[in-house]
Amino acid sequence: MVDNKPLVITCKVGDKIPEWIMERVCPERMRTMAAILRDPNPLHWDRDAVAALPLGLGHRTINQGPLGLSYMVNMLHLWTGPESIKRMVMRFPQVVLDEERVVAKGVVVAIREENGARLADCEIWLEQAERGRLLEGSATVELVKQA
Amino acid sequence: MNTIPQESEITALLGHSFPGGTYKIEHWENFLLTGCTGAELLPNGIAHPVALFHVPILGSNTSIAEMFALGQAESDLSIIPESYDWEMFEPLKEEVTYTISGKIIAAERRKNEQGQTYDWLQFCFEMTSPEQVLSARSTITWQYTRNTL
Repeated sequence: MVDNKPLVITCKVGDKIPEWIMERVCPERMRTMAAILRDPNPLHWDRDAVAALPLGLGHRTINQGPLGLSYMVNMLHLWTGPESIKRMVMRFPQVVLDEERVVAKGVVVAIREENGARLADCEIWLEQAERGRLLEGSATVELVKQA
Repeated sequence: MNTIPQESEITALLGHSFPGGTYKIEHWENFLLTGCTGAELLPNGIAHPVALFHVPILGSNTSIAEMFALGQAESDLSIIPESYDWEMFEPLKEEVTYTISGKIIAAERRKNEQGQTYDWLQFCFEMTSPEQVLSARSTITWQYTRNTL
């Protein structure tokens, strides 16, 4: 018999969220994403356009902001389930480039109750080994995982 | 040097509303979108939240290109995304038709720490389910840089 009871996630302030790793940021996925988004910006699919910028980024395409954000969504989903995210606010201090290995990370900064729900406020970020934090922001998740 | 728009042209954008409309995230779209994120499809027809970027834009009958043009972007390359704020009041679902509205809630001329002028626009979109429940809100903040490229 399957137990469909929701699972209560236990955590405390300072706990680290299990990391989620994107081993290789694929330029092919950026192209698919650009088509779905109807995003005309060549930075996401034309390496020559990026190389021509005075930013020293080299011959690499720039990942869409929402795609970088999605890696943190994936981290949160694996931790607290696919219905748990209530809010995410993200900033983009650095770009994510094709072929990079990036790691979504986070830490619990507060736990609170709101309208009967137990919520965790988290600091979250996307990290690259040499360049540090590429994206950073906050997330609120409900600490109940639907079975 | 590009000609910078008059500040009054930028501030006049405050309150600009998009036509609005509806959008249904079809299964094929969610499948491709989720694949781009590197995740497996979510259960029970839940759409990946990454849809909260483009679905509100397209569903309110605008486009990334039109949003660039409204702020008189010098080029596609001149836009810097400052922040995305996604509020999720219930999970988004595939094959559900959402009613979507959107408007500009802030439009200001600013200077960065280097003294460079840029224009600062905030777009707010809301998605309402067929049951008239506010399902999600997306607030996009972009910087329209001027003469930095």
